[in-house]
Parts: sequence; structure tokens; C-alpha cells
Amino acid sequence: MNLENRKRELAIEFSPLLEKTTTVSKIWIATLVLIILVGLYAFIVQFTQGQIVTGMRDNAVWGIYTVNFIFFVCLSYSGAFISGILHFIHTPWKNSVSRMVEIITVLSLIIGPIYIILCMARLDRLLYLFMYPRIQSPITWDIIAVMTDLIGCFIYLFLTFIPDFAILRDNSENAPKWRQKMYKYFAIGYQDTPKQRIKLHKITRTMSAMIIAMAIIAYSVLAWVFSLTLQPGWDSSIFGPYFIVAGLYTGIAVIIIVMYLIRKYYHLESYIRKVHFSGAGIILLVLSLLYGYFTFSEYFTRWFSHKLYDTNLLNTLFTRYFWMFVFANYIGVLVPIVILFFNKLRNIKSITFAAVIAIVGLWFNRYLIVIPTLETPYIPIQDTREEFIHYTATWVEWSLSLAGVAAFILFFILLMKLVPIIPMSGIIDHERGQAKRKKSIK
Amino acid sequence: MKSIKYKYILITSLIIAFFFNFNGFSQELDASNYKMRLSLSTFKQNDNSRMLEVSFIGQNKEDRKDKLPVFDAEIKFYNEDNLLGTAKTSKEGIAQFTIPEGQNYITDEDGFINLIAKFEGSDGLDEEDDDIQIKDLFLELNLKEIDSVKTVLVRAFTKDSTGVETPLEGVNVIISIGGMLSKMKLEEVIIEDGEFEYVFPTDLPGDVNGEIIVYSTIQDNDDFGNVVKNESVNWGVFKNNNLIEHNQLWSEAGPLWMYIVLTILLLGVWANYLYTVIYLFKIKKEGKEIDREQVELNTEL
Repeated sequence: MNLENRKRELAIEFSPLLEKTTTVSKIWIATLVLIILVGLYAFIVQFTQGQIVTGMRDNAVWGIYTVNFIFFVCLSYSGAFISGILHFIHTPWKNSVSRMVEIITVLSLIIGPIYIILCMARLDRLLYLFMYPRIQSPITWDIIAVMTDLIGCFIYLFLTFIPDFAILRDNSENAPKWRQKMYKYFAIGYQDTPKQRIKLHKITRTMSAMIIAMAIIAYSVLAWVFSLTLQPGWDSSIFGPYFIVAGLYTGIAVIIIVMYLIRKYYHLESYIRKVHFSGAGIILLVLSLLYGYFTFSEYFTRWFSHKLYDTNLLNTLFTRYFWMFVFANYIGVLVPIVILFFNKLRNIKSITFAAVIAIVGLWFNRYLIVIPTLETPYIPIQDTREEFIHYTATWVEWSLSLAGVAAFILFFILLMKLVPIIPMSGIIDHERGQAKRKKSIK
Repeated sequence: MKSIKYKYILITSLIIAFFFNFNGFSQELDASNYKMRLSLSTFKQNDNSRMLEVSFIGQNKEDRKDKLPVFDAEIKFYNEDNLLGTAKTSKEGIAQFTIPEGQNYITDEDGFINLIAKFEGSDGLDEEDDDIQIKDLFLELNLKEIDSVKTVLVRAFTKDSTGVETPLEGVNVIISIGGMLSKMKLEEVIIEDGEFEYVFPTDLPGDVNGEIIVYSTIQDNDDFGNVVKNESVNWGVFKNNNLIEHNQLWSEAGPLWMYIVLTILLLGVWANYLYTVIYLFKIKKEGKEIDREQVELNTEL
């Protein structure tokens, strides 16, 4: 097998993904840009008029911004975790999903923390977090964890991109000049020589192990932001592992949805096959069982101990938030379990449907962790106006939330225009490995 | 027509009453259901003035816990037939009147002062009165350091019409100090020969300046009523229990282990990043060398 020819073949095969922009994708991009622009307008409104334009008040100081922050950051950590694990698994099918996971990791880690900045009423004091950090504060740990993890994920993503940049550099004679220059710059002179390959594999392997460890630490730190307080509903010793399981559940569900969309709109059926969905579906099933167990354990112990403030919180969950509670903790867990448990029900569409249900349920779960606790404080609420007692998100918050999702999708599409979503280097490595094995058999 | 008008007024009033006062229906304001209680007490204060205090409360005949203070009732205070003054009851049903030091009281042959409080009645309430007979007691409080021992000296006596002092016998005297909300009792003794000595504790903090208010009190005595005398003294021993704590969760600098763990973690992670970047530069350097070799090869060809 001539590797250079094979690389050229792959570059030609994937070049339409990079170069062609269909009308549908143009409409998609325009819609996403529009949503982001509405979000920008909402941000200007919030920045100029203050947080009065949001539903956040004295008691519910956190709203859907925090929910989105937890959602995206957990998604990122789970992406990092899964990506790290995938690197150590030697199987051909991992190649089709690894890049998606890496992109999900980095993009969600960029978008997630923006929501925390939106939560801050006095952005001018943002610098104080860095100037006067308190090592005793979980918020400080979270800032350190998010920033360290973000840099680590960037490095890791770059490492996995290098071989593909090198292939594209050597095989994109017809591409625009800026693209050629960019590939050359980011390929950092990588020629796929055995020496360079060993070095790159070595540091990628170390970084994989590192980001798995960092994901677990960062997950736990995020959970501790809540569980180290004495607030009812937050003060829990199982929040660390609960967040890890919930995060992985989110991660797998998002990967399934992304796989489905990419397979459908980019016609990559030969690369993203049913086996990928079945594998991811089984993992999602295991995680949904674990997540369901943790959720039950969390609420059961609160209900059984019957502490006054926990009881108040549970009453709120079973009255004002009844349907959300049912969706988050019953439908969001049981529907995926039922779909994924029976082999007959397990097909690409149903697995994707289960993933969508899981995602919606998980978002509601985060909402129920953050908001009802703030609405049932220890100290009686002094200002008895409705908006002070109960939190309701405003159009500004919804616009910025949707803008975050739109930005995630838009950047995903743009990154897919930069490098193929299926790593060419992974295919080459796999074929090289097969060739070696054949030689050794002979 | 007229009856319909009244009916509407009544219904509207009831609705308004319902909206604005839910408790209104459960309150019975008819005074005939209440037994009026007027009670008089007296306090001889630190400056030897005497305060007369009346509590005027209505108590529900059926529900004894239901007590209703009588507000704005005019109370007249007498010494025998001699009107001392008047005061009106507060929202709590309390009326107070202070008789200055040096008041010449009318006393009986045993030296008792007869004090009377009288409410002369109103449209809804009957006349009420109460009286007490007390002797004018003199308390003296001296705070002295005797041989470096902080000592509280109490003298209690009565005076007859000629000014002759008679020491007090067999009466309970309480020594206490002032606190933020109430007094803290230190000692309660039965005074004999009109004198009492008490060794003051050496471990009481006082206020920020070490000031302590010491009280000697006679409470609810049948013959003397309430008598109080107090004095401020700098006998407090201020102990600063607020130890400055270092490296705690709540101190400015955190626990040491936190710094150590964080440093190890960050060093480990960032060292790995550095290691990765160094390797990337090595890869880049090798790439440049390969490029150079290729250029040289092409030139040779």
C-alpha cells in the first residue's frame, strides 16, 4: 500500500465536506447567525439595563444561565473523558466518533463559561476573582479547573488535528491560498516520519490520560460548588459521582445526536454505521440505569430523612415543578431505558430519540437542582413580590441560551469545514496497523 | 327601600371587614365578657424617685388566656386623698407615673405610705382602683476595694418621722449585674442588721471598657415594694477570646494542605502541558530539517 496515494485518496474523498457549501447548509448557517445576533442584542440589553431584564432576583440569583453553564461544562468534561478513553481503545470504529467528541469537548468548554459571565451583575468586578482569589472557595477551584481544562482540551484537540492538517497541507493544491497557508502553519512541519509519529503518539497518549483525570477533578469541583453549601437540595455527599454520571449521560446522548445529524446531512453512512449507534446505545443504557439509581438515591434519602427544609423543597418539586420533575426523573430516565433495553426497539432513529429525551430530561434535571433550592431558602423571603419568590426566565435569558446552542452548532459546522469530521490520520493508522499485522503473519 | 340600603351597607362593610381583617370575626370586643383587672405596683429607683405603675388589663371570663389591654384610660394616683398626678395607659395597658425624690408622703402610725391608683370609669368601663401600703426603704450601694478585694457593700434601712434610721432585718436582697438584655443574678441573701458584704467575682468581663453596672434589688416585697440601687464600676476583666486563627477555612489564608494539593495538581498538569509543547517544537524542528534536506536534494538533482 502506498501511503501517500492513500492519503491523497482520502483528501479527495473528504474534500467536498471541506469545500462545498450546499444551499441547505447556507440556510442553516444564516439561521444560526440570526439566532446569535438576537442573542447579542439580548446581551446588549442586559449589559446596558442590568440584570433587571432577567428573571433573577434576590433569592433566585442563579437562573437558566447557570443551568446552561452546568449543562455545557458537564458535556465538555464528559467529552474529554470519552475522548481520552477512546484514545486507549484499539478498535476501528472509534475513528468515526473521536473527532466529533473532541470538537464537542472544546466547543462546549468555550461556550459554557460564558453563561457564568452572563450571571454576573457587575462584570467590572470580574477581575477581582483573579486578583483576590480565596483558595477556600469552590468558585475559585472551579475557575482554575475550567481554565486549566480548557487549555488542556485545546492542546489535545490540536494534537489530534496535526496529522490531518499535514495530509491536507500535502494534498490541497487546488484549495484557496489562505487554506493552504493555514494547513501549513497548523501542520507544524509534521511529515509523518516514524520519529515524529512516535513523538506525537507519546504526547497524545499522555494528554489523553491527563484530560481523563482533569475531567474527573473538574466534574467534582463543579458538583462541590453546590454540595459544599448547606442549602437544601445541594448539600449532598453523592453530588460528585452523580454529576460525573449525569455528565457522561449527557455526553453520550449528544454524541448520538451529532452522529445522527452528520450521518444524515453529510452522507457518511459508510463511516458512521449502525454498530456505532448500537454501541453508544448500550453505553447510554448503562448510564441511564446508573443515573436513575443516583437520582432515586438522592431524592429518596432527602424524603426519608424528612428534614424540614428538605421537605419544603420536595413539596415545591412535587407541586410547582411537578411536570418538570416527572419529565426529568421519570420520562428522561425510563423512556431511554425501555427503548435501549429491548433489542427490537434498538435502531438508529429510536436510539437518537432516546438520546433527545435524555438530553431534555437532563436539562430539566439541572434546572430542578438550581432553581427550586434558591426559591426555598432558610431565611424567609422578605420581598414578597411574585418575581422575588418565583423565578421565571425572561426573553433575554432564553435568547442568550438559544444563542449559545446556535453558536455551538455554528462553530461545529465551521470546524467541519476546516478538517474532516472523520480523522484521515486515524484511517491511515488503522490501515498501517493492518498491513503490519499481515506482514507479521506472512 | 331604606332597609335595602342598610342591607347593602352592612354587606359591603362585612366584605371590607373580611378582606382587611380576617381575625376581626374571632375577636369579641364587648367589654362585658371581660373582667377588668387594675393592679398597682411601685418601684423605688436609683435616684430615689418612685415610679408608680398600673397595669390595666381585661381578662376574658371564659378564656382566661384572652387578655385585652385597656388603652388610653386615665389613671389617677393618690397618697391617701392627696392627688399625686395622672397618667394614661399605653397600648399595652400600662400607665406610669414618677414621684420625685423628697416627696412628703402621708403615712400611718406604723410608717406605711398608702398609695392608690384609680380609674374613674368611662361609657363602657366601670370604675376600678387598687392600692398598696409600703414603707419608704433606703438602699445604699457602695463598691469598694478593701485590701485589693472588690467588695459590694449594701446598707438598707428605714427612717421614721424624726429621721432616725432603723436597719433592715430579714429581707431578701439580690446582687446582680447588668447584661445586654437582662440582669445576671450574682447573689441573693437575707439581710441582717441592715448590712451586707459581698466579694465581687474577678472573672466578669464587663463592657469593652471593663465597666460593670452593679445592682442591689429588693423585689416584690410586701412592705417595701420594689427598690433598686445601681452603680457603675470599672471592675470588668476583659478577656480577649477572639484568637486570631491562621490557615483555617474562614481565615484570610486557607489551610496549608489546600495550597500544597493545588500546587501539586497545577504543577503536574502544567508540567505536562510544557512537556507537550516542547515535543511539538521538536516535531516542528524535525519537519524543518526534513524540508531542508528535501530542498538540498532537489537542488543537487
